[in-house]
Amino acid sequence: MIPVLRREFLGILRSPRALAALLAAAVAFSLLVLVRWPAGGIVDLSGAGSRGAFLVFAAALLGGVLLLVPAFPASSIVRERNQGTLILLFNSPIPPIGIYAGKFLGVLAFAGLVLCTTLPAAAAVYAMGGVDPWRQIALLYAVLLVMAILSIAIGLLVSTRATSPDAAVRVTYGMVFAVAFLTLCPHALTRGTTGLSATIADWLRRLSPLPVVMHLVGQGGAVGGGLLEKDSGVWQFLVCGLGLAAVLAVATILQLDHRLFDRSRDAGKITDDRSLWVRIVRRLVFLVDPQRRKAGIPFYLNPIMVKEFRTRRFGRFHWLLRLAAGCAVVSLLMTLAATNGTMDWGVETIGGLLVILQIALVVLLTPSLAAGLIASERERGGWSLLRSTTLPGWRIATGKLTSVAWTMLLVLAATLPGYLVMTTIKPTMWNQVMLALVSVLLAVAMTLALSAAIGAFHTRTAAATVTVYVVLMILYLGPLVVWAFRGDPFGEQVVRFALSITPLGAALSVIGMPGFTQYELIPIAWKIAGAICVASLIVYALQVWRLLRPE
Amino acid sequence: MNAPTDPVLDIRNLTKKFGEFTALDNLSLALRRGQILGFIGPNGAGKTTTIKILVGAMRPTSGTATIAGADCVRDAWRIKRLVGYMPDTFGAYDNMRVREYLDFFGAAFGIPRGARAKRIDEVLETTGSGWMQDRYVEALSHGMKQRIGVARTLLHDPEMLILDEPANGLDPQARIEMRDLLLKLAGMGKTLIVTSHILPELSRICDVVAIITQGKLRAFGTLDQIMRDLRQKRTFEIQLCGPAQVEGAAAAVREALHQDEREGVKAHATESLVRFDTARSDTELAAILAALVGLKIDVSQFREIPKDLEDAFLSVTRREAPAA
Repeated sequence: MIPVLRREFLGILRSPRALAALLAAAVAFSLLVLVRWPAGGIVDLSGAGSRGAFLVFAAALLGGVLLLVPAFPASSIVRERNQGTLILLFNSPIPPIGIYAGKFLGVLAFAGLVLCTTLPAAAAVYAMGGVDPWRQIALLYAVLLVMAILSIAIGLLVSTRATSPDAAVRVTYGMVFAVAFLTLCPHALTRGTTGLSATIADWLRRLSPLPVVMHLVGQGGAVGGGLLEKDSGVWQFLVCGLGLAAVLAVATILQLDHRLFDRSRDAGKITDDRSLWVRIVRRLVFLVDPQRRKAGIPFYLNPIMVKEFRTRRFGRFHWLLRLAAGCAVVSLLMTLAATNGTMDWGVETIGGLLVILQIALVVLLTPSLAAGLIASERERGGWSLLRSTTLPGWRIATGKLTSVAWTMLLVLAATLPGYLVMTTIKPTMWNQVMLALVSVLLAVAMTLALSAAIGAFHTRTAAATVTVYVVLMILYLGPLVVWAFRGDPFGEQVVRFALSITPLGAALSVIGMPGFTQYELIPIAWKIAGAICVASLIVYALQVWRLLRPE
Repeated sequence: MNAPTDPVLDIRNLTKKFGEFTALDNLSLALRRGQILGFIGPNGAGKTTTIKILVGAMRPTSGTATIAGADCVRDAWRIKRLVGYMPDTFGAYDNMRVREYLDFFGAAFGIPRGARAKRIDEVLETTGSGWMQDRYVEALSHGMKQRIGVARTLLHDPEMLILDEPANGLDPQARIEMRDLLLKLAGMGKTLIVTSHILPELSRICDVVAIITQGKLRAFGTLDQIMRDLRQKRTFEIQLCGPAQVEGAAAAVREALHQDEREGVKAHATESLVRFDTARSDTELAAILAALVGLKIDVSQFREIPKDLEDAFLSVTRREAPAA
């Protein structure tokens, strides 16, 4: 175990990403305390200032753990398998549990190191007064540590099953965010009811660190219209989190053997050569059968765009159709729930949730498609082949961008039926819906351009995906955190500025989502999104040009 | 249009510097249509730098390189049409079948859809890969991938093929098939530049060989020419009837050779033979044999050890080693 642990830990520490993370954590948390330090060194006796500082500190720490930790375990095993070093480990005397423990503890040691860099800031918050060192600060670190353990367990499990590091990173982030945020949704829907579903929803909520952290900073029940209740559930979270991590660890260890390599090469079975009956069934099941022999790329289509669609598992049409169908069903169900009066949320709240659903899809899907547009080519040797073709740079650049843009537009189009029902119920909302949709479209453009631009500077897809996710999460979730703490500690101007950074705030405001209506964010949010989009596209184009020209 | 005798590849005084480091130093060589050039050198010798300049991926610091009259720097667009380049990494895409893969690169070269389908069939047949057209690219074995790599370079029917390590990692059978494929391509009038570390393979297919070390061209020409140039010293073996006379024979050979050649005389008692390197003429060698016979040493064979490309390569690289 020790050699694996040492190599894993040193390997992480040697990466520029880790150094950047450590430095960023140390600097950011020091600045945070400095900014919130009482003027003239005088502490208010009520302790409101220090509690405000603790709140921002805790939110930033939780965000840091959710954004930084999953990236490292996610690529840990799959990369070793692809590089051929995992089989060497299996042939060493180290048992699977030793390999797992080495990898687990290596990443955990790094996460611990990042948390340690924030300890001086925590001490400074304590020094301001008004914050309990054990029942608040120590418990906060315990919660964060358990969340880190859970994230590592999820990442390692995904890593054993994934076929590429970037796919592992995508799925891990998706699962970690599902644990942190989606686990709260069933409780919100069943609140006030009793029975088995309400009990399950309540226990599911215990897996999320969000209510616990909010309770520790004294904000329980303040956020999300009661999504996070006053009941802290710190111990339940610690037990549930560790329990789930243990289950995931056992599941991962059981998979760590030679079966990981016991996979035959795909024989490339093709539907065209199969019986008529099979062809009919597959046609009905898939609509667009991925196993059919494809016709040549027609002259009017950009070959790069077609290639991107064909090479992405998720980009293949049968997957897109499934996703689009899923989105359509969810958006219609939400609207149906509102019209039937099963939830007393009002059309505006449903509209707001539709906007959030759309933006969540944009933020989760776009980086996974766009961050590796250039990085995957460079990583797998395709770039030198593309350079040797007669395709001009602009066609390569636009082909790649349009492949993601069409995918996202299709997914978003699937959520439109919800809006249609909304405007039928309340025709006066037509203009609001139009403005909200323009905001969402701008969000797509901005996210796509930003993801492509950031990803183009990387040579590895996994690293590009992680970086883009971190940037986008900060960009989209940051303003929501600021909005959640409007009034204390963030003033009106700060909240307005934060919400105008992305079109999300503008869309929520214009659709009339409770809590956002007082902010006039159009056209400033559109202008900012447009500027970010144009700047990112210029950077992306310049980078593609730079990579294509002779060295 | 070039005349048939004009060189297809013409490299003149090509130099590439990275800061203080000279990766390529005044390289000059020419190649005629249909020839296969074996481009060999140790790792870091400057082979990839040369290739990158030829395919327009790198600019030289000075000097020129033309392919079929097109300048590799100024006519980068024409170069892409004239050259088929297979790098040492395959460049696979996930979830793509072989035919889709070739279709994509055909479309990237602007081949119309109808003509492309026909061309794909042709290149698959040329490379003997038709049976794998429905396989997923990432699921191919290394040997299959190399064949598809060659098929990809042929799609736009280039005049010159530049293949970086095409036989690397192939099993003996696949290596023989690759060798036959390269000879077939040369027979079709393609000019080939092939880099490889498997020198016996190259010596069997190459018309000309260029040996490069530390960015400098050390030897260039047909294999025979290179051997002649390097043949300052030849290696001889004297096979004796028994081990008893080995020391006596070695002493007699040392006596007959120049002072600087005496250290190279090796006596192998277990094999009953004496081996030595010398620059002496055939007449002088006949005198050595006569001296041995005069000493009543029972010589069963007196033979020259033939040298191959590997010896030539080692001879050049060892000669340059002290300067490194």
